[in-house]
Amino acid sequence: MKKLSKLLLAVSFVVSLTTSAFAVTAVSWGGAYTESQKLGYGDPTAKKLGIEINWVDYSGGLSEIKAQKEAGKITWDIIDVFAMDTIIGCDEGLFVEFDFDKDFPAAPDGTPASEDFFTEMPSKCAVGNILYSWNYAYNVNNVKGTPKTIKDFFDTKKFPGKRAIYKGALTNLEIALAADGIKPGKGGANIYEALQTEKGVQRAMDKIKKLCTDPQGGCVFWSAGAQPPELLVSGEVVMATGWNGRFFNAEVGEGAPIKQVWDGQGLDYEYFVLVKGGPNEAKAKEALAMMTNTEMLAGSAKYIAYAPWRKSSLKVMEAGEPWYKDGKTNMVPQMPTAPANTKNFFLVDPIFWADNGTELGEKWEAMKAGL
Amino acid sequence: MSSETQQILTTDGIPLEVSLKKAERKNKIKAFLLVAPLLLFLIITYVFPIGDMLLRSVDDKMVTEMLPKTFKAMEKWDGHELPEEEVFEAFYHDYKLLVENKTFGKLATQLNYEKNGFTSILKILQRKIKRFEEGNYKEQIMAVHKRWADVEYWRALKRRAPSYTFSKYLKGVDMYKNEDGKIVSVPENRQIHKVLWVRTIEVAFFVTVFCFLMAYPIAHLLATLPMKYSNLLMICVLLPFWTSLLVRTASWMILLQQQGIVNDFFVWIGLVSDDNRPEMMYNKLGTYVAMTQILLPFMVLPLYSVMKTISPSLMRAGKSLGGTPFVAFWKVYFPLTIPGIGAGCLLVFILAIGYYITPALVGGASGTLISNQIAYHMKSTLDWSFASAMGLMLLSGVLVIYWLYNKIVGIDNIKLG
Repeated sequence: MKKLSKLLLAVSFVVSLTTSAFAVTAVSWGGAYTESQKLGYGDPTAKKLGIEINWVDYSGGLSEIKAQKEAGKITWDIIDVFAMDTIIGCDEGLFVEFDFDKDFPAAPDGTPASEDFFTEMPSKCAVGNILYSWNYAYNVNNVKGTPKTIKDFFDTKKFPGKRAIYKGALTNLEIALAADGIKPGKGGANIYEALQTEKGVQRAMDKIKKLCTDPQGGCVFWSAGAQPPELLVSGEVVMATGWNGRFFNAEVGEGAPIKQVWDGQGLDYEYFVLVKGGPNEAKAKEALAMMTNTEMLAGSAKYIAYAPWRKSSLKVMEAGEPWYKDGKTNMVPQMPTAPANTKNFFLVDPIFWADNGTELGEKWEAMKAGL
Repeated sequence: MSSETQQILTTDGIPLEVSLKKAERKNKIKAFLLVAPLLLFLIITYVFPIGDMLLRSVDDKMVTEMLPKTFKAMEKWDGHELPEEEVFEAFYHDYKLLVENKTFGKLATQLNYEKNGFTSILKILQRKIKRFEEGNYKEQIMAVHKRWADVEYWRALKRRAPSYTFSKYLKGVDMYKNEDGKIVSVPENRQIHKVLWVRTIEVAFFVTVFCFLMAYPIAHLLATLPMKYSNLLMICVLLPFWTSLLVRTASWMILLQQQGIVNDFFVWIGLVSDDNRPEMMYNKLGTYVAMTQILLPFMVLPLYSVMKTISPSLMRAGKSLGGTPFVAFWKVYFPLTIPGIGAGCLLVFILAIGYYITPALVGGASGTLISNQIAYHMKSTLDWSFASAMGLMLLSGVLVIYWLYNKIVGIDNIKLG
């Protein structure tokens, strides 16, 4: 008996030693999003590699990882960040630079990783994880006819009623120009080019102003992601811009009478980065490569309506429809990157907004003050 | 000295005066020790942060120290044409050092506050600067991006030269110092802060007026009704006071929105037609209604505590001396409640001027107040020195009102309870 307990103790000691030595810490935004990551690819990867992946919540920004590095005790391995943070962190040497095609596996059909991903990465330290959309939705009960394009969002003659738009300038200026007849071009290049000029900005502001002061239209400004579906369902507005995951939850999860329109959508992104000198860099790199392979990335879309970065993941989903966790909803049409949804779209440009955010913000507020 | 002969001594032969002083000093020390924790607390949590804010709002040493050679070379530059080669050369050396030390990110952030567009051109320069050849830096830098050939960017750079600056305060009222040292307004389509200041003061003022108009009768009732009714009324005042601010704001949204309960009721009784529902939410009206309701207890309570102490016999005396009820009220009762009015108004006004969650949620396009802007610069742009400057401007505004109040009514006349 004594021997047995000693043996058990030794075994448990060895087990605890190995697990803690191989535990990888992944940091993300928490809530339903982290849940989808954990269930979608975190746990399956951990099981396959025989390691442990711990998920930790944070609220964005690089201040924490910077502080860890300065204190000389880094505890994070993988972080889920915005585009701008991958650029800054890469410049400051916080993150590992990837050799993209070597570090990340090719698609099942042999397409190299760099071509399988939706667009180029903003820095050498980033690997794409999900894309989400700033699209718009309408309440089917309060709109006569079917809005199909971004122009319809601004068309108060055909579709009278109030609109809800984001309180800041971000993405509003882009859709205003798209609705005003500028073809977005590759990834929205034409829109951002127009916004570099005073004239283009004015044109966008005028378009918004016209919508908001139109007696047939009018604007409500939302600030929290939960508001757009809420405003639509209560009938306060007939159309609202918002995040597609929120609309999906209201539409499919709660059966609200709303429908999404993908024309003129703005794609926004999330990335993973690997911390340089993290507690478990080698294992974390291995885990990251697996988590971002075709099948694993597709896994997260079972739980949330955000799109995996890899084009090949969509094919996996297509083959496995209905893909949503409820077992009856087809997920591919809900993906911001689905071919049917990306006929007319722009990629939100982090560098443009880092550059011009404050000045455009002032102009935006000045415009709002004159409404 | 004649007094010496008359000096009173205590039993142990010490002059009374000295002995008294000794005893008093002991008491003083004791009293000081008693308040010392509070004093320390105030210094740490109040005086120190405000001092820090003040310093932060004028301190611009960081940029000055990052580009020492550039600013030295810029001293001779008049700011009209593009600067000469030596400025570019100095800038090249300064910036190269920053790139090597990996601290250029901070410079980019700071300069982008001064003029938007710096982030990307500094970033591009950072990538290319390693491959620069010696000499002719002006051309090489200008070739990196066309904005480097724009004199506006160099003017913006020069504006950051002094170690201490009041430019953030100027920015707070939509002004800046141009290259000739004159203080001018920013272009009209970017003027936002002046509008917000006016709006903030306007909202705070009207909310105070509405609170006063509503609270006065309530407080009077509370003070004069029999105990069992007044207790019930008191609970009605206090219950919302204890409810979360966000809950109350959200309830107003449900009540007043176009498809809300109040509008439904109006339609049901036929007051308005269904497709012509009045807008009572997401505009100024919504802000006034919600803020007045939320701040009402802060007016009721001081008024009540003052009215409670006014003897009912005073009004009776006024009337029996021949005054009409109005005259008796105006000449006797009202002046006695002024300390309560002063306390309530000051309280409500100061709270209202710093409010931002409620106006942001219910105010729509006109719901942005100056505190929203402060929060925006604290959290989003991370321009803390500008946020500090605006915070201090708000604080000094409140102090001015306090001073005015003291001049007109007298601060010792205030009564909170």
